[in-house]
Amino acid sequence: MFALYKKEVQSYFYSPFAYVICALFMLVFSLSFINGIGNMNSNVFKFSFSNVFYNNFFYFIFMIPMLTMRTFAEERKNSTETLLLSAPISIVKIVLAKFSAVSTVFLCMMLCSLFFPLVAALNGTVIVSSLICGYIGFFLWGLFCIAVGVMISATTDNPILAAVLGEAAMLLIIFLDNFTDSALVQSIPAVAKVFQWFSTEARFVNFSQGLFGVGDLVFFLSLTLVVLAWTVIIIEKRRWSRG
Amino acid sequence: MAAERGCTVFMVEIKNLTKFYGAHPAVQDISFTVGDHEVLGFLGPNGAGKSTTMNMITGCLPSTAGTVLVDGYDIAKDPIEVKRRIGYLPELPPVYGDMRVRSYLEFVAGLKGIPRKQRKSEVDNALERLHLVDVQKRLVGNLSKGYRQRVGFAQALLGSPKFLILDEPTVGLDPTQVMEVRNLIKDLAKEHTIIFSTHILAEVSAVCERVVIINKGQIRAVDTIENLAAAAEGDPTLHMKVEGDVEKVSAIIKGVEGVRALREVEYISAGVNSYEVVVADETVRKTLMATLIEADCMVLEISAEKASLEQVFVKLTTPDRKKTRAEEFEELAQKLEADRLAEEAENPYNDEEGDA
Repeated sequence: MFALYKKEVQSYFYSPFAYVICALFMLVFSLSFINGIGNMNSNVFKFSFSNVFYNNFFYFIFMIPMLTMRTFAEERKNSTETLLLSAPISIVKIVLAKFSAVSTVFLCMMLCSLFFPLVAALNGTVIVSSLICGYIGFFLWGLFCIAVGVMISATTDNPILAAVLGEAAMLLIIFLDNFTDSALVQSIPAVAKVFQWFSTEARFVNFSQGLFGVGDLVFFLSLTLVVLAWTVIIIEKRRWSRG
Repeated sequence: MAAERGCTVFMVEIKNLTKFYGAHPAVQDISFTVGDHEVLGFLGPNGAGKSTTMNMITGCLPSTAGTVLVDGYDIAKDPIEVKRRIGYLPELPPVYGDMRVRSYLEFVAGLKGIPRKQRKSEVDNALERLHLVDVQKRLVGNLSKGYRQRVGFAQALLGSPKFLILDEPTVGLDPTQVMEVRNLIKDLAKEHTIIFSTHILAEVSAVCERVVIINKGQIRAVDTIENLAAAAEGDPTLHMKVEGDVEKVSAIIKGVEGVRALREVEYISAGVNSYEVVVADETVRKTLMATLIEADCMVLEISAEKASLEQVFVKLTTPDRKKTRAEEFEELAQKLEADRLAEEAENPYNDEEGDA
């Protein structure tokens, strides 16, 4: 499993891919950072990283399908899937290895973004506890989105299609909360409640406000695990119907 | 070795293996066994179900029904144990274009769970065996098809699995490389049990001891090459070039005792036609010659041909045996239409028989 993980991480870092996406992430982060500073006026006295994270996620989430689109779709396209399937390694491990490889790239992106709190710390004070909480929330939400991206990649053998479907899924994830607030959904309380359960944004708000709740942690982790389990099932299913 | 562990003597035992894609049967009820250190050729035309079967043996594809036992382990129950004993070279070599040859092999070694300490020697060994040492630092994507195939082959050898499954290992290689691969397979047979699929007959007779012939997902024959060839020898074929009227000559040939069938008549030049005659045995040749000369038909050429393995293959892999005969009959009927008309003219009561 480690060999596969290593190979996957290498495939990101031995190509310009990881660096380009890290750079893009930095750009996006700096935009939300500048935005945060620019919005400071008489009403908002404080600049907080929680806000930056919150805004940043809207940009960042659309980068995730780019990260995940190749995971399984490319293997199928290049007919290297047989190598993995005929190797003495279970599908659960294959999925976990691929998922953790993407998560590693994601982690590197987040490490790059530490640059901004450092700059802020040089010129002011950074509330460390709030920052850490924001990072944890950001990471957890990212993990869930990566899992969704990997799952979508497992459903197709075309990386571009995986990316497009991934973007659609990301839109759904991010706007589920807005959808829940709409008058139509609100008029049916039962449906609204179900949507609320799965609304990731509301959970992230807690983190971005500097509130670390075990419930939110469990929510993100369990949702990620469920999606990964689905990925395993999808691959098994496709194995059956493969030609 | 298997006997030492008290397992079955067979390395691989395949029982009633079946695979359906929806309602379409790709492989139906296949059973055969492969012994220790045996080279088994898996022969069939394109689309016969060779790759499907191989994918099922390696566990890439679950079977609809039936079992695959490798070294006593069931692929459905202990897939990891089975996969540990198998080196698989799929039809398209499963290589990553963006990796270097050496790092790719090191990755596969890790994937196969070879202990870290042994990986280097395993990879070196495989590189040497496939003559890949010179290209070990190159990107796989930049290699030619032949080299890529070799990299795929090297990958299958890693971890010295007891059992090698090679799906069309010589496709897309140049003649020298084909020879190399065949020699390699022979060489590997000393240490491994090998199943390899192909649709090229020469390959089977060059490398294998035993052949499984498969068509339309069903086994047509499982036998040694010698036996298959011997079985084929039963019906020798005579190729003749005869000068004379087609109808007349055909009638004469058919009239000779011991002639099983007149298979093909081909026009060569004015008044000269070639005939393919299946006879009971070689002695018929004399009578045939004598009869023809007696009837004033010049025999320009005659040669006997023992049915080759190729013919066995064609015979076994044409869709359905009964259908084949029907088709053959149809062809014959067409080609010998003149002949038939002549016969009808001579024996008018044939029609009456038909009516009755």
